[in-house]
Amino acid sequence: MTTTVNGPAGFDLLSTVETGGCSAKIPPRQLEELLQDMPLPADPRILVDIATHDDAGVYKINDETALVITTDFFPPVVSDGYEFGLIAATNSISDVYAMGGTPLVALNIMMFPSTRIPMEVYKEILRGGHDKAREAGVSIIGGHTIDDYPPKYGLAVIGTVHPGRVITNAGVREGDELILTKPLGTGIILAGHRMKMTIPSQLENAVSIMKQLNARGAELMQKYSVRGATDITGFGLAGHALKMARGSGVTVNIDMKSVPLLDCVYSLADQGCIPGAAFRNLDYTEGGTRFTSDLDYNLKMIAHDAQTSGGLLMAVAPEKSRELLKELHESGHGEAAVIGKAIRKAEADLVLQ
Amino acid sequence: MKTVDTRGLNCPAPLIKTKQGLNEAAPDETVQILIDNPASLSNVKRYLTDNRLPFTVREEGSLATVTVTRSEKTELTENETGYCTTEITEKKTGTRNTVVAVTSERMGSGDDELGTKLMVSFFRTLVLLEPSPAAVVFYNAGVKMAMDDSPVLDHIRELSEKGTAIYLCTTCINHFGIRDRLPAGSFSDMYQILNVLKDADHIIRP
Repeated sequence: MTTTVNGPAGFDLLSTVETGGCSAKIPPRQLEELLQDMPLPADPRILVDIATHDDAGVYKINDETALVITTDFFPPVVSDGYEFGLIAATNSISDVYAMGGTPLVALNIMMFPSTRIPMEVYKEILRGGHDKAREAGVSIIGGHTIDDYPPKYGLAVIGTVHPGRVITNAGVREGDELILTKPLGTGIILAGHRMKMTIPSQLENAVSIMKQLNARGAELMQKYSVRGATDITGFGLAGHALKMARGSGVTVNIDMKSVPLLDCVYSLADQGCIPGAAFRNLDYTEGGTRFTSDLDYNLKMIAHDAQTSGGLLMAVAPEKSRELLKELHESGHGEAAVIGKAIRKAEADLVLQ
Repeated sequence: MKTVDTRGLNCPAPLIKTKQGLNEAAPDETVQILIDNPASLSNVKRYLTDNRLPFTVREEGSLATVTVTRSEKTELTENETGYCTTEITEKKTGTRNTVVAVTSERMGSGDDELGTKLMVSFFRTLVLLEPSPAAVVFYNAGVKMAMDDSPVLDHIRELSEKGTAIYLCTTCINHFGIRDRLPAGSFSDMYQILNVLKDADHIIRP
């Protein structure tokens, strides 16, 4: 396999995961069924729990401070251990940003085989995680490792937010415009890379997007009084937008033609390079989604592409969206775009056009 | 006939090869796809259904053979450059199609017992129709025909496997409170149903 391997061990982490994007996550519909019988804890200090399928839990300590608590981990998405560590940490921390919080401390979560992969790779993954945590101002103060194959890595992260300024996927208001901060298509690019259908610059471009913290997006959301947002990860743009629409009691209308895409994503989808996760996500969304009859098939599938460390989808009052977008463009999110609107709740929770 | 062998390949390679095969085949050539990976089989079936390409599936043990029969009516989106065109091509859709609208549990009106029998017979015969209808839409009491205890459920599944889109009216499903009892078909709203009916060349209403 031709890949860029920079680590000292020269080990290709992608050789440990055979099934590509097909099997890393439990299908969302199945997960919802499994979780529906779990009793929800009743405690007035719990501000956000699993009931609204949000990115992180939020627990109020006092009138000034609430804790934002989240975890996420997954098998390798790139060949190089250090890069994998950077991406996994960025992705884990992102859930705190999606709630409008500031991440503080984290724990490593690692599954790694003690014999089949050089231990240098373990160190490289951790080094990536620590470097990204430092960039985010997060201290890693512990962790846990299990002997397992293939490896998996991520963080459990704790951050804080003012209890009155929690941003949830239930906070979208009718009339809000929706801004997506990162281009879409990491799942398709990673699959295309495995199939040797991409050129190195396209993969590098996707990797740099996956390594980009959503910190600035979180700051700007607070500055512009955004109340509703989510980050786009495994359930794809459509899956997360649907959860947000249901959580907020609005209908979300997304114009796929205005969604920023990573270079080559459209062409890869057109050639059939559509990971299995996209089909699973489609199974989940189609019960509550209206696909307009002129929606391009490839764009429909891109909307369901599982993202690794994707951007924030934020709902902003229309009179503020231009300013917010301008500030995003000036702070490293050059491709951020208004991709849709929240409208009065209609029959379908989500409309993709 | 063109054969695409995806045995031993993991997702999304079988879908990529399927699409390649369909693009390379002559417009009316039959394409046969060999798949031995259940996830990819389900994705390829979904892909063909969504793109209105009629197909049949034969499964022997872990090997599935998907046969796509095309006529000159069916056109695929062409991607001539192969690598990285960023422009978005408009999807060309086959325009001639037949849609079946199922609006009650009975065929015709007059005698209910007779109507129920006729409806079962209608579906038994519908699966034999060539070419298969592009879509069957179920609304009002018609959605009950797609319930888990329906005598025609197997026929609906067979139609779906052959590439017929199955649309169920969500408002009707909610009205009858049968959301959990519909193992086949996709939930649709009035807009989608109306578009399917609008785009139809013939509508059969039993």
